[in-house]
Amino acid sequence: MVNEQNLEQGNGELIEIPAGTAWPIILAFGAMLCFASLVTSIGVGLVGALLTGCGIVGWFKQVFPHEHHAFVPVVRRRFVPASSRRTVAHIQVSEVHRAYLPVESYPMVAGLRGGIAGGIVMIFPALLYGYLTQHSIWYAVNLLGGAGVAHWTNPSTADIAAFHWNGLIVATVIHAAVCSLIGLLYGAMLPMWPKRPILLGGLIAPLLWTGLLHSILGFVNPAFNARIAWGWFALSEILFGIVAGIVVTRTGKIRTHQALPFVLRMGIEAKEFNPPKGNQP
Amino acid sequence: MSDYSLPNPGTIEAVVSDEPRGTLLETLHEWVITVDHKRLGILYILYSTFFLLVAGAEALFIRIQLAFPHNHFLSAQVYNRFFTMHGTTMVFLVGMPFLFGFGNYVVPLQIGARDMAFPRLNAFSFWLTAFGGLLLYYSFLGGGGLYGVGNAPDVGWFAYAPLTARSFSPGHATDYWALALIVSGFGTFGTAINIIATVVSMRCKGMTLMRMPLFTWLMLVVSMLTLVTITPLTAAQFMLLIDRYLGGHFFDTQAGGSSLIWIHFFWIFGHPEVYVLVLPAFAIANEIIPVFSRKAIFGYPAMVAASVGIMFVSLSVWAHHMFTVGMTSTSNAFFTLSTMLVGVPTGIKIFNWIATLWGGRIRFTTPMLFCIGFLFQFLIAGLTGIMLSVSPWDWQLHNSYFVIAHFHYVLVGAVVFCIFAALYFWYPKATGRLMNETLGKWHFWLFLIGFHITFDTMHFLGLLGMPRSIYTYQPDRGWNFLNLVVSLGGMVQGVAVLIFAYNFIASLFQGEIAGDDPWDAWTLEWTTSSPPPVYNFEEPPEVHSRRPLWDLKHPDDPDWEYEA
Ligand code: HEM
Ligand SMILES: [Cu+2]
Repeated sequence: MVNEQNLEQGNGELIEIPAGTAWPIILAFGAMLCFASLVTSIGVGLVGALLTGCGIVGWFKQVFPHEHHAFVPVVRRRFVPASSRRTVAHIQVSEVHRAYLPVESYPMVAGLRGGIAGGIVMIFPALLYGYLTQHSIWYAVNLLGGAGVAHWTNPSTADIAAFHWNGLIVATVIHAAVCSLIGLLYGAMLPMWPKRPILLGGLIAPLLWTGLLHSILGFVNPAFNARIAWGWFALSEILFGIVAGIVVTRTGKIRTHQALPFVLRMGIEAKEFNPPKGNQP
Repeated sequence: MSDYSLPNPGTIEAVVSDEPRGTLLETLHEWVITVDHKRLGILYILYSTFFLLVAGAEALFIRIQLAFPHNHFLSAQVYNRFFTMHGTTMVFLVGMPFLFGFGNYVVPLQIGARDMAFPRLNAFSFWLTAFGGLLLYYSFLGGGGLYGVGNAPDVGWFAYAPLTARSFSPGHATDYWALALIVSGFGTFGTAINIIATVVSMRCKGMTLMRMPLFTWLMLVVSMLTLVTITPLTAAQFMLLIDRYLGGHFFDTQAGGSSLIWIHFFWIFGHPEVYVLVLPAFAIANEIIPVFSRKAIFGYPAMVAASVGIMFVSLSVWAHHMFTVGMTSTSNAFFTLSTMLVGVPTGIKIFNWIATLWGGRIRFTTPMLFCIGFLFQFLIAGLTGIMLSVSPWDWQLHNSYFVIAHFHYVLVGAVVFCIFAALYFWYPKATGRLMNETLGKWHFWLFLIGFHITFDTMHFLGLLGMPRSIYTYQPDRGWNFLNLVVSLGGMVQGVAVLIFAYNFIASLFQGEIAGDDPWDAWTLEWTTSSPPPVYNFEEPPEVHSRRPLWDLKHPDDPDWEYEA
């Protein structure tokens, strides 16, 4: 119940520790005075420089040629480990648990990979759209990255169709970020609908996404909203989804944790389920 | 909780050192020349406790001045000095030294080392920081300059250009500010290097990186972040001095310089700095919450990853302090997004703490209470932070009391709460005696109530448009009542801190004897005697899991069977 310690003078045993020294404080004080002299007087600076010099030399001698040590006699004692709670409560794991979630699904990274692949493929209909309607592949790029072209207020269509390197950079960043994030989200959602990834990714998700954007784009980016061609947009979304779905289906399924009881899935350690690992003394 | 219980005090008497005491002068001499990490840690902590009281008093003066409209308690000039000194002190002389104090004291003990990697550098760093603080406060006496204008610095803790130019800040007050921060900054640098070296090279046998206590992990991360962040500040201070005395024009817009450069430099330092302050608070919570929940920390690897993640992300968000200076929309968008990104690792941490509490046998001791307060307050502070990260929202509320409320929610609600928790938690280790629990509870509840009266209300003042840094206001703005409330809450916190100060001193003489391991904890520092001997461990310890003491206490069910 109680910690006891057994004290006994270790038979003359000594432990070596660095000796105390005043040089660091002298050096610190000297350095401070040097800085302070800039706003006080030269006298303060001289004293500071003197102390700094002494401090450096003193410190140097403290460690060269031999480091100064102090020797402390060891007091042998024993730490007696004791806990006020002897019994360890393990979480009781019941075998009866709900398992509505699939026991097999695609790994999360499959979604990410799908997102990236879809994102690459999706570029082509977007560029095609710009080329067909405005005879410029940069048109779609600038629509997306317009926020990056600083001080752009009410750009003309010709403006948007021209090449802007910062528009390109911003569009690339937004596109890459959004595609991988959507891919991740897709991956996270896969276990909910593991049977038909292409249906989920290729049709339902793009439709939901297009609908969501359709309703909010007016607030988020009015300029984009005024020019967007929703048909083309939905088309590239669907292409994205199908490609992502294909990439996902080509990845093998893995067992999910759903076969395990709830507490384990929460990451709680329970002896029955964790085989001993780690190194033992 | 049904089985809420106080720690068992143990029955040994011979804990508080029984060596013959030297004279006062001898004792003093020993402390001044010490290179022992434990003594330096204690010096750091005493030093910051002292400045906590000083800067707290300054805050109370500020609040008395603002309690009523058209008040004449402080003049406009003195008011400016007070808020500048309050902010500068709290960040540089209270927050950082406190955290480095705990780092110094606890890290070597936790990793089973006999001292820091560079004991003399350790002493040097502490004294630099200490003298830097004295230099700052000496400005009250020595800062009077030309025409008697100004004595203590009065340019705000961020000291924006061109206010710091000689034409606007004559005299030496601003120089004292810059010099003091340079001096204490070098001290900080030294300690950061020392902690890194110690953690990297002095761990005991068996203590792999993934077995290191999270406190130590976070101190490592903080020290790395410190190295990156103090540098631009020191550079900027030198540039400022060059501008002021050597005819430089770094920040002089009229001569082709740029005051924006200062703002960038300051916040490239300033934002990571707030994480330098809050990560050690996380570190403290990481130790205390599991011990008083009687469970291992939930998601240890995720906690490590989140801390390292925060370190990197926090380096890329500084311009969220600058949304109103007129950046391009690209920058606004970038800094809005990167700031929101900080919420991800931070959220992971909050969930992990809650999961640690969940299902645990919680003991509501004073340190635990402070940590629970921290959890709640840090969550809200993070949310107001995310609100401010939305640039259009920030355009409305920048420089208002909403921002003041946000950052005090973090700096007081999280950092100061965790500092108090840590003081109650490690006090028995450092002194051999426990702090009084009853007074501790009084301290906690009064401080909590005072905190919420003050800082919850401040959000509304901000939303009502009250700007920061004003020394008084018109009675017809609708701010009178709320300001009075804020000030009263400040007084309540003041009383709570006085109770703490009394407890802190009185327990040294009357506190219950603690024994080695009063909290039934799991890390190595609790295997040493309280206070630990100079050499910490007679034999270098060896560990096999993240909770070496758990393994000792429960040999039938040790941790290494579970850890990966
Ligand atoms: C999720 C986390 C956080 C977010 C998103 C966040 C966001 C922000 C934003 C946008 C501002 C600028 C407001 C303005 O000046 O108009 C701000 C100010 C500030 N924040 Fe945070 N913050 C977070 C956490 C923290 C933490 C952990 C601390 C300190 C430990 C902190 C301390 C400060 C300080 C000191 C200021 C204002 C400095 C000044 O203007 O004097 N914040 N925060
Ligand atoms: Cu910030």
